[in-house]
Amino acid sequence: MNIDERREKPLIQVQNLGKSFGNVQVLKDISLDIYEGDVVFVVGPSGSGKSTFLRCLNRLEEPTEGKIFFEGEDIVDRRADIDRHRQRMGMVFQTFNLFPHMTILKNLTIGPMKLQKKSREEAEKTARELLERVGLADRADAYPSQLSGGQKQRVAIVRALCMMPEVMLFDEPTSALDPEMVGEVLNVMRELAREKMTMVVVTHEMGFAREIATRVLFLEDGSFVEEAPPEEFFGNPKSERLKSFLSKVL
Amino acid sequence: MWDRLSEQIYLNFIKDDRWQYFTNGLEVTLIIAFFAALLGIVIGLVVGVIRSTHEKTHKLKFLNFLCSIYLTVIRGTPVVVQLMIIYYIILANARNKIPVAILAFGINSGAYVAEIFRSGIMSIDNGQMEAGRSLGFNYIQTMWYVVMPQAFKNVLPALCNEFIALLKETSVSGYIALQDLTKAGDIVRSRTFDPFFPLLTVAAIYLVCVIVLTQGVKILERRLRQSEH
Repeated sequence: MNIDERREKPLIQVQNLGKSFGNVQVLKDISLDIYEGDVVFVVGPSGSGKSTFLRCLNRLEEPTEGKIFFEGEDIVDRRADIDRHRQRMGMVFQTFNLFPHMTILKNLTIGPMKLQKKSREEAEKTARELLERVGLADRADAYPSQLSGGQKQRVAIVRALCMMPEVMLFDEPTSALDPEMVGEVLNVMRELAREKMTMVVVTHEMGFAREIATRVLFLEDGSFVEEAPPEEFFGNPKSERLKSFLSKVL
Repeated sequence: MWDRLSEQIYLNFIKDDRWQYFTNGLEVTLIIAFFAALLGIVIGLVVGVIRSTHEKTHKLKFLNFLCSIYLTVIRGTPVVVQLMIIYYIILANARNKIPVAILAFGINSGAYVAEIFRSGIMSIDNGQMEAGRSLGFNYIQTMWYVVMPQAFKNVLPALCNEFIALLKETSVSGYIALQDLTKAGDIVRSRTFDPFFPLLTVAAIYLVCVIVLTQGVKILERRLRQSEH
């Protein structure tokens, strides 16, 4: 089945995106449509621009060329209210970046309360429900420093979810974790994918990509070399570069 | 000897209600130091945020330029000279001297506080800013809710140092004929012709103030450290 036939309008439309740091061009002419419910995995060798690409989607990096349409609006445009768009794009970082001076509950409610003007009761109710679902209901009053890496990352995912985003961006969410903690984070992501959350994931977890991705993209030297559903991507890679990459990582 | 001591105490504190010089002087000193500290925090916050924002994003070039001039001038000249310039030149028509002193010491302290805040802000990992921004907070909101509270905790000891210095620096207020604590001691000395008691009394009062301030900050630090079990 062709993904593009399934749905009419992309949630995120990346057009000819480019990003340079000084003279170094990190991303070149990237175009991509992301539809609702898509689980897009971006893989590639380190230094290929995967994280930069992801961070361009919510403009943590400023793209130097091209357009990104999110819900029909060009968010690269100078006049776009990027803060409002970011509320609808959750992001999960490699290093969690929880707020260490706040309790877990406060980490989860500060966004909804300050930005979406939700009442404390409402925000805490949502936060506790989501914490419950990732198995951390009892840690609501703890501080981030009292949590393990895997727990921190689950909280970080919940923090993004509390804002009720349309899409979740994951920037190597398991790369900073001890191996025995990777599973618990992947479980949460698996759950999200099952609920048809739109996700863009940068990762080195090839097995996981194969399992839950709807599409896998291979990024090398700043451009997409190959894009395919996971079975095809891993089972029948076309380009030589993807073949050689897969032979190294699988 | 005891007779002499009680006579001295009588002369320095009781006669003509001279103790009032010390209490009034202390009041003036505390008022100046307190409000100058507040002003210093406000100025320091604004300048510190501008400077660190420039350092991180290379934006706000002009404001940063103004801030560096402010820092250079204020840190490059003695506070007592600044005090006199403000009193005798800039605000030559001012009737009430206390606000003048507050302004002078506040502007002076702000320069040092700004550098303290800047170093505090720079010490916070950039991931904190990114996490705040990714939730949809704007730059100022992220500074306020996420970065500053952590930076403040980190710089508290340095801030405490600055306020101790500020409290003691107000002792030059006598240069614009303000009767602060130091000036009070000086007046009593000129009446009794005995420097021993007035000066040691003044020194002891400063010491007590600084000890109280230090203890207060210690308690605050302990409370803020709750999150790092």
